[in-house]
Amino acid sequence: MKLTFARWGNYTIAFKALFEKLGLKVIPPEKTSSETIAEGAKIAPELYCFPLKVNLGNYLPAIKKGADTIFMVTSLGGSCRLRYYGAVQDKCLSEAGHKVNFIIFGQSPKDIYLKLKEVSGASFWQILKAAYFGLKELRFIEKLEKKGQYLRPREKKKGKTDTVLRETFFDLEKVKDLKELSEFKKRTFKKISEIEIDNKRDIPKVALIGEIYTVSDSAINFGVEEKLGREGIEVHREMDTTYHLKKIIFPWKDWTIQRAINPYLRSTVGGHGRDAIYEMLKYIQKDFDGVIHLLPFGCMPEVTVRPILEKIHLQSGIPFLSLSLDEQVAEAGIDTRLEAFVDVVSNHYKMKHKT
Amino acid sequence: MMTIGIPRALIYFKKPSFWESFFKNLGFKILLSPFTNKEIVQMGVKISDPETCFSNKVFWGHLLWLNEKCDYIFVPRLKTNEQKLEYCPKFFALPDLAKILVETSILTETFNEKKERFETTLLKLGRKLKKNKKEIKEAAKIAFLEEKKLKEKEKENFFKKINPSDGGQKLKIVLVSHPYNLYDDYVNLRIKDKLEKLVAEPILIDEVPIAEIRNSKFETRNVKWPKFHWEFGQEIMEKIQAILNYDVTGAIEISSFGCGCDAVLKEFVEREFKNRKIPFLYLMIDEHTGEAGIQTRLEAFIDTL
Repeated sequence: MKLTFARWGNYTIAFKALFEKLGLKVIPPEKTSSETIAEGAKIAPELYCFPLKVNLGNYLPAIKKGADTIFMVTSLGGSCRLRYYGAVQDKCLSEAGHKVNFIIFGQSPKDIYLKLKEVSGASFWQILKAAYFGLKELRFIEKLEKKGQYLRPREKKKGKTDTVLRETFFDLEKVKDLKELSEFKKRTFKKISEIEIDNKRDIPKVALIGEIYTVSDSAINFGVEEKLGREGIEVHREMDTTYHLKKIIFPWKDWTIQRAINPYLRSTVGGHGRDAIYEMLKYIQKDFDGVIHLLPFGCMPEVTVRPILEKIHLQSGIPFLSLSLDEQVAEAGIDTRLEAFVDVVSNHYKMKHKT
Repeated sequence: MMTIGIPRALIYFKKPSFWESFFKNLGFKILLSPFTNKEIVQMGVKISDPETCFSNKVFWGHLLWLNEKCDYIFVPRLKTNEQKLEYCPKFFALPDLAKILVETSILTETFNEKKERFETTLLKLGRKLKKNKKEIKEAAKIAFLEEKKLKEKEKENFFKKINPSDGGQKLKIVLVSHPYNLYDDYVNLRIKDKLEKLVAEPILIDEVPIAEIRNSKFETRNVKWPKFHWEFGQEIMEKIQAILNYDVTGAIEISSFGCGCDAVLKEFVEREFKNRKIPFLYLMIDEHTGEAGIQTRLEAFIDTL
């Protein structure tokens, strides 16, 4: 059995490490590019949301390389279309003439454990160890991304941070166990601390909110995070895998969110719809200089909450940009809008600090 | 006397006649927005989010029409139905979005049958309007009866269409869609009239009686679609199973542009019909759809049968 799975930005490295630790044969999904997206969109239903098409595009080269099993997440509790990803992808691939076996797992820790056991036949202890290693790596990747967000606007030599991070992510795939990982961490942090930074710059802060997959995969959002960073803007985002995992394990986070957004929305809308409003309110409180809302075209929760976000934007006056992404969006279009937004943000920042 | 406005779009068609008779029996005046027309659609399209579905845009148009014409506008928050299946997630936020849009106060209550029974929520709703328990129960009873009568009539209608007395010269065509597309003649571009003119008998999926099938062997049968958590998903798939027992010539699915749920549903609806070699046509409607285009496609479809 050769396994492949849905790609998710830099986190793919950690998922791959987890499966390999369990002794499974893994063929990692292809890196997302405009070609894979086009291939995926060809066989996907037209009006389905964008991540499904991206996933399909990533599977296809892996299937060509010999993968015969796909490990796919579903969300049993939510109201969003992620629930049917497995079923629809299965149908699309079989109609396109590919024979693959889908293993669909829910998002609860118990279900993940049971499915991993079924696939690998590993013992409880082995799975625990592999999961621990995977999570450690995941945390490390997220930490690196956070560091990148801080360093990019401050670096003295433009592009240095991105070079270091790219090298690190490349090398990280070769790390095999916990001991190696801790050494690798030390080396990496040393490398990062050597990046020269200028602390005296005026740096506006912009938050990324929206759908988790588009926000955290820079191959899909055309590197919004990196582009803003290079323009001298510090980017913050809360959406990442640990945020999502934490929310599954500790449900009371949802209650705090609901309490905070009660004046605007009194119900869940599925997916991370409520979180977008909550985060926007929080970032306004923290005195940010702009908010960018990212969503796949036609994403039901995010489209539903967008009028509310726009209302908050009108009330508070914070610069707001909503970008919906799909296979027809061109990078040049996104760039132009981002450049205009950067101007608005820096003007907003200057006005605020003059008075 | 207080007037309650009800937008004649989207959730209205989930329970047609029920809300009207319920509020009327409670002693309120009802203001129903008119049948969808061009101005309403244009109003809705202008203010709504460009990516939301066409049905939602029409709903906002109706809401704007009612604005400042009544004391309350009734926009319920429908979450789950009695089978504990969810409604479309876009319905969950309707009252909140309506509050942003109009000045008239919104009358709302959350109908979540996972948490409480429909009747209990009705009591809560009635108390908001300062009515006592007895009045509310009485009003609900009459409204339920009227709804039941309507259903009976629909069922009769269905059997008349499926087993016509004149021997059945007409082509029987199933229209698969949501009730707010099937019953709103402006939105579906009068597709029923058009089909009738082409000597076909449109059978609405909504009319197919389902009670008998639910109890029979249906549950145990090996079905090929995923278990839907949407009420319409489950319902439409079950009704398709029911209609396939009869002899139908073709099927048309109407879906409003931007409907996320239909993107999922269509895959499985299409497969059901195609597996049985029944011709299938998929029509997408939005504010730009022209009548001539639909007419041509319908004619071509009928010719292939």
